[in-house]
Amino acid sequence: MDELKAIGEYDTTQYIVINIGDEQYGIDIKFVENIVRMQSITRVPSVQEYFRGVINLRGEVVPVMSLRRKLGLEDDEITNNTRIIIIKLEANAPIGVIVDEVKEVVTLENSSVDSVASSSKKEENSYINGIGKTGGTLISLLDLNMVISE
Amino acid sequence: MDVSQYLEIFLDETSEHLQSLSDQLMILENEPENEDTINEIFRAAHSLKGMAGTMGYKRMQNLTHDMENVFSEVRNGKMKVSSHLIDVLFQALDALEEYKNTIQETQDEGTNDNEAIIKELQKILDEGTGAAPAEAETKESEEPKEAEKEPEAAEEDNADMKWRTVKLQEHEISAIKDAHTKGLHVYGCTVFVQETCILKAARAFLVFKALEELGEIIMSSPSAQDIEDERFDFDFSIFVITESTFDQVKTAIMSVSEIDHANGEEILADSVMLTGGGDEEEGAADGAAKAAKDEKETKEAADTAPVPVQQTAAAPATQQGGAKKSGSSGKPVVNRTVRVDIEKLDVLMNLVSELIIAKNSIVSFSNAVNDGAAGFNEQIEYLESVTTNLHESVMKVRMVPIESVVNKFPRMIRDLSKKLDKKMELFMTGEETELDRTVVDEIGDPLMHLLRNSADHGLEANDVRVQRGKPEVGSIFLDAYQDGNNVVIEVRDDGNGIDVEKVKAKAIERGTITPEQGENMSDKEIIDLLFLPSFSTAKVVSDVSGRGVGLDVVKSKIEALGGDVSVKTKLGEGSTFSIRLPLTLAIIQALMVCVGGEKYAISLGSIQTIENITSDDIKLVEAKEVIHLRGSVIPLVRLDQILDVESTKDPDGDLIVAIVKKGDALAGLVVDELLGQQEIVIKSLGKYINCSSRLISGATILGDGEVALIIDANVLI
Repeated sequence: MDELKAIGEYDTTQYIVINIGDEQYGIDIKFVENIVRMQSITRVPSVQEYFRGVINLRGEVVPVMSLRRKLGLEDDEITNNTRIIIIKLEANAPIGVIVDEVKEVVTLENSSVDSVASSSKKEENSYINGIGKTGGTLISLLDLNMVISE
Repeated sequence: MDVSQYLEIFLDETSEHLQSLSDQLMILENEPENEDTINEIFRAAHSLKGMAGTMGYKRMQNLTHDMENVFSEVRNGKMKVSSHLIDVLFQALDALEEYKNTIQETQDEGTNDNEAIIKELQKILDEGTGAAPAEAETKESEEPKEAEKEPEAAEEDNADMKWRTVKLQEHEISAIKDAHTKGLHVYGCTVFVQETCILKAARAFLVFKALEELGEIIMSSPSAQDIEDERFDFDFSIFVITESTFDQVKTAIMSVSEIDHANGEEILADSVMLTGGGDEEEGAADGAAKAAKDEKETKEAADTAPVPVQQTAAAPATQQGGAKKSGSSGKPVVNRTVRVDIEKLDVLMNLVSELIIAKNSIVSFSNAVNDGAAGFNEQIEYLESVTTNLHESVMKVRMVPIESVVNKFPRMIRDLSKKLDKKMELFMTGEETELDRTVVDEIGDPLMHLLRNSADHGLEANDVRVQRGKPEVGSIFLDAYQDGNNVVIEVRDDGNGIDVEKVKAKAIERGTITPEQGENMSDKEIIDLLFLPSFSTAKVVSDVSGRGVGLDVVKSKIEALGGDVSVKTKLGEGSTFSIRLPLTLAIIQALMVCVGGEKYAISLGSIQTIENITSDDIKLVEAKEVIHLRGSVIPLVRLDQILDVESTKDPDGDLIVAIVKKGDALAGLVVDELLGQQEIVIKSLGKYINCSSRLISGATILGDGEVALIIDANVLI
């Protein structure tokens, strides 16, 4: 049992902290393939509205979605800080997610992550599977499977 | 040891043998006396048996064993080929195919014993041999052979018992003695591999593996390492300690295919003493010869079936010092091919794709720098010719003849003919036509549907055909040929054709169309109704076709491959279903167009002409825009509206229209600007983007790094 406890204490996850408006969100770093600057996006007609289109990522065509649109916020405002985070949940199926700004990488102890109370699991909150704390601020940890799937 | 590394080879070889069996059985059905065919079937069955045994698939082995027995009788002229026999053999083939598929999926052969088939085979065997009791005319029966064998056996011994000359080391002798004190048997044995065998080492390995299941190999000559490296001629000697009898050991060895024969005997405790020094003892040799003979005789007696195959084969082989056996010399010449993992080809293909993109970017760069030196252009042209050639050769590697798919159809038609009780024949041409591997793997089912459809719905019953003055036997044709950048596969029958009125009535009855709509529809439109889901006109639902899931499945499958299906029919004379498939799926020639400032690619294959028209030429028919062009009325498609962008052109000015075709149908796509023709590499949009209209079939990367979408014009027609 002691052993298990020991592992549990050192069981940490690294998150990339991003800004969307005033809120901070965390993305599990193990799914992040790459972070690229905003680039020209080719619009694809008649697809899900949260898809901005496709980009050329070193010869690969990668679909790009807007996290703001998905979360039901006002549309992206492209600035110098805007980034596309390339996420790979499964091999050969990368997807880009547009965020306002990439802040930092934090390491959170899994035990310190609060789960989201089930009562508040509604609408946009269903994309969040935990709340982490770092330096006094709260970070909503994104459930990537939920964000990316329909 | 693990045989799984041989599984792939086993499956490949099994498929080949099964196909060969099926082909030969078809021939045999028409020419029951064809000796070559009988021999070929016998060999295929025998190889299958050996392979299945080696891999430990006992049920498969049993079934093939019985097939082999029957054919051995036929081969010896003791039995005649009856149509019933052929039926049973085909059932057996199906069962084997099933085993193969189960093995492919689970590595296990499953639990179906197929006892019914085995019993039926046994029955045929019993009846066959009983009904033809050793007819005097039976040529070359075993009798003369057996007579010859006696003197041979003695001579053979010295050459065949090479293991006796192997010198045993101290520790090996002590191991043998140990074994004897434990009551185990020790056998020395020399195994002869067929001289035509290509993978000697692999066969030897399988022999080792088979023996290690029975006991322990204490010594081999040459050494195991040498055998593994293929440093031996055609024979090797081994010493085994086992609980089993020598018959079991020998059976295990012979179960490996391409093993010619194996000779050996038990090493007795006292003979170890005697040969301890390594010298041969005359007496022991004599004893051994006698033992070997005895063993042969008992084996013969035990096997009530005719001459066991390894003996008929082995006797002449040893006699001529291992000259080519009839068994392997008749083997059909197989294409010298290398099996390449399709993933490796995909990698190569991707590299070529990147090369083309790189080339395109150089081209666009040189266009930007207008005063580019002439030498630069030359280099680009050179690069272009290299990439084009490379592309072509990679594509060729990916191409396989459709033969591998269509060669199962004659058998299917034969079965259908019996099941439907209609006489019919299948004629195939163009089996050598090549298509991209990925396409070939997918077209089997659609073609099967179409053939069944022709057999069931297309062809009339035999008596009706005779009444109509047609040949009694219905004909179905399967023709494949290349047509430009497409491959066309046609399934044609000389049956009744499609009764348009009947289809219309049915469609109205089902509420697919209203009677008014029906009045206005052309014959072609009505026939196209057949491709709608759940539409079947067969009055009787048979298990061949008529479940109403046929043609729409065919259509969707073919369209998924980037092709299309069309029908031509003439009532009373037959129908033709044409499948048109792109030669390749990865790289196409495309027309680049601009709509509302966005670039799009349209496959050049679907574009017929480009027209410049004035806005006055546009007429309205049923509130839809059309143009008249060389006598035909062509509906206009405003791409800007469909793509949801603002056209950059003056709405009253001239229009650029790309006329696209799909089969006989045409449509005019209105674009803002033409950018020219380009070779593009098709990339998928990925699984997350869900293009509801299927209008965008993919994307490509242009020379300047921009992504352009590919419009599937077929969806717009």
